[in-house]
Amino acid sequence: MTAPVLTVEKLVKRFPAGRSGLFVNAVNSVDLSIAPGETLGMVGESGSGKSTIGRAILRLTEPTEGKITFDGRDITRIPDREIRPLRRDMQMVFQDPWSALNPRMRIGDLIAETMKLHLDLSKTERENRTVRLAERVHLRPEYLRRYSSDLSGGQLQRVCIARAIATNPKLIVLDEPTSSLDLSVRAEILDLLAEIREQSRAAMLFISHDLGTVRLISDRIVVLYLGAVVETAPGEALFADPAHPYSQSLLSAHLPADPEAKLSRHLLVGEIPSPINLPSGCTFHTRCPVAIGACRNEVPGAERIGDAEHYANCLRIAEGGNRIKPTEAA
Amino acid sequence: MAETVGDEFKRDRAAARPFSLKNRFIGIARVSPTLASGVIIILAFGFMAVFAHWLMPHDPVSAYPERVLKPPSAEHWFGTDGNGMDVFSRVIYGAKFGFGIAIPAVILAVAIGVPVGLVAGYRGGLLDEVLMRFFDGLRVFPSIILALAVVAATGQSLLNVVLVLGFLDSPVFARVVRSEVLSLRSSVFVESAKAAGNPTWRILFIHLLPNAIQGATAQAAVRAAWAVRISATLAFLGVGIQAPTPEWGAMIRQGAEFMVTGQWWVGIFPGIALIFLVFGLNLFGDGLQDLMDPRRRAVN
Repeated sequence: MTAPVLTVEKLVKRFPAGRSGLFVNAVNSVDLSIAPGETLGMVGESGSGKSTIGRAILRLTEPTEGKITFDGRDITRIPDREIRPLRRDMQMVFQDPWSALNPRMRIGDLIAETMKLHLDLSKTERENRTVRLAERVHLRPEYLRRYSSDLSGGQLQRVCIARAIATNPKLIVLDEPTSSLDLSVRAEILDLLAEIREQSRAAMLFISHDLGTVRLISDRIVVLYLGAVVETAPGEALFADPAHPYSQSLLSAHLPADPEAKLSRHLLVGEIPSPINLPSGCTFHTRCPVAIGACRNEVPGAERIGDAEHYANCLRIAEGGNRIKPTEAA
Repeated sequence: MAETVGDEFKRDRAAARPFSLKNRFIGIARVSPTLASGVIIILAFGFMAVFAHWLMPHDPVSAYPERVLKPPSAEHWFGTDGNGMDVFSRVIYGAKFGFGIAIPAVILAVAIGVPVGLVAGYRGGLLDEVLMRFFDGLRVFPSIILALAVVAATGQSLLNVVLVLGFLDSPVFARVVRSEVLSLRSSVFVESAKAAGNPTWRILFIHLLPNAIQGATAQAAVRAAWAVRISATLAFLGVGIQAPTPEWGAMIRQGAEFMVTGQWWVGIFPGIALIFLVFGLNLFGDGLQDLMDPRRRAVN
């Protein structure tokens, strides 16, 4: 296997909760890695730490603990000055394209900006490349002279994508790039991302709370709960055979396209616990329908399932008690 | 390629009202009559300042001893002063001083205040505290007293007046820009600029500045009015510009002496000119502020 473009080890991010002296545990010891050209999907409900992980990877927020290795280099603590040249190789697309672009810059200048910052090109060469990038993201060249307020959400997200791919980065973090868009536009953007994924060798971290979207685009999927990874699996394996009880209930809430399909829903009881006071042991035990006494005290490690790259963090996998039976669901 | 409905709409609107300066002005006057009146007054004084040499019937500093303190007449519209100089010509020439002091002073204030506000707002923390407390300190002193003291100490010259006014006024711009930056610095486009690899100076001047400068633009006009007023006050108190220079403040000072003896025209006319220019600049500034206020703009 080739060396991963990104490795995250035991990443922890805590935010102070106001002046209370308490901390919000946004990310709790997350491990993940992305191979060159691979697309890793990351799902979890809001508050599960998805965005924080994405931002910490790009050093847009400082990690509290852990280690982030990008392209063979430990970037966890290097100063801003040294991070800046690396940004050529790691770009980001944000959730809300309306607020992610400087309203006082022309679209063309916005697309050309990353090239201006990182590549040593003549002005004409840069302009030619900007036009080609606009074509690549299916944006009509006349928009290049306009401002962001003249464009629709889908068009703006194309601009953001063009900005992100302009320097041929090795990693692109996409933080819910389609969540704020209309359904029809969402499909177009997903098609575009799939196209770019084929053409470029860029690895992608695709963050979303929408299972259907993640399934379409990802090679592997990571499921998060309360800032921790509960399951990692190749896309199809996760959908065919979710091992962690949380993944099972998450998938059962996702409606399949087939109207005839039989639904077995595993509804979870209660609210998601506060990330200020994390439950002991397995953080999911407070809502888990198959939890046993040991789940309160013991933190589960990653268990390998089958022979694929499929791991889940659940104590009951070893004895086969991890399956939620329909009768056990509330 | 097919045209969208939006394009058609924009073209129709453009066709309905062809662009011209006159139409543009009518549009502004409808939204903000305040702004329009301010523009007219400022343009009138600007015209006076630029074309003073053609507009003045007499030389503003030539004394005619035989015509001392003559009341307004066909020859001397605003009469003559204690040196027998033509008050009308001097009032016109005085516009040069009004703009000549106010514009460079405001430019200096912006040049100091805006970068300080940008850095203080973006960096925050101790640097912000130190810079802002220093500027607050400046604002504690009554500006006229501080200006008087500094000009008196550094020497009486036009340049010193400009420097002092510009420096004293910089906290206003620092505050306005800082408060804008405080609300902008956590916005997504700033984070996106950082993620793209922008160095701090580019985030400050290319990304934050154009989005934070609006409030300062409106302030600039109001502060120009302030600079005109303070520089005239300094001249009136005999600091900075000295009579017989045809500066309004200095002329009012001379006129005040003759007011008691009934020669009202020496001081009244430069006084009226001063009031109008200050009034016009204030109207312009208030009008700009109105225009930028989204609540007001929504109505129109």
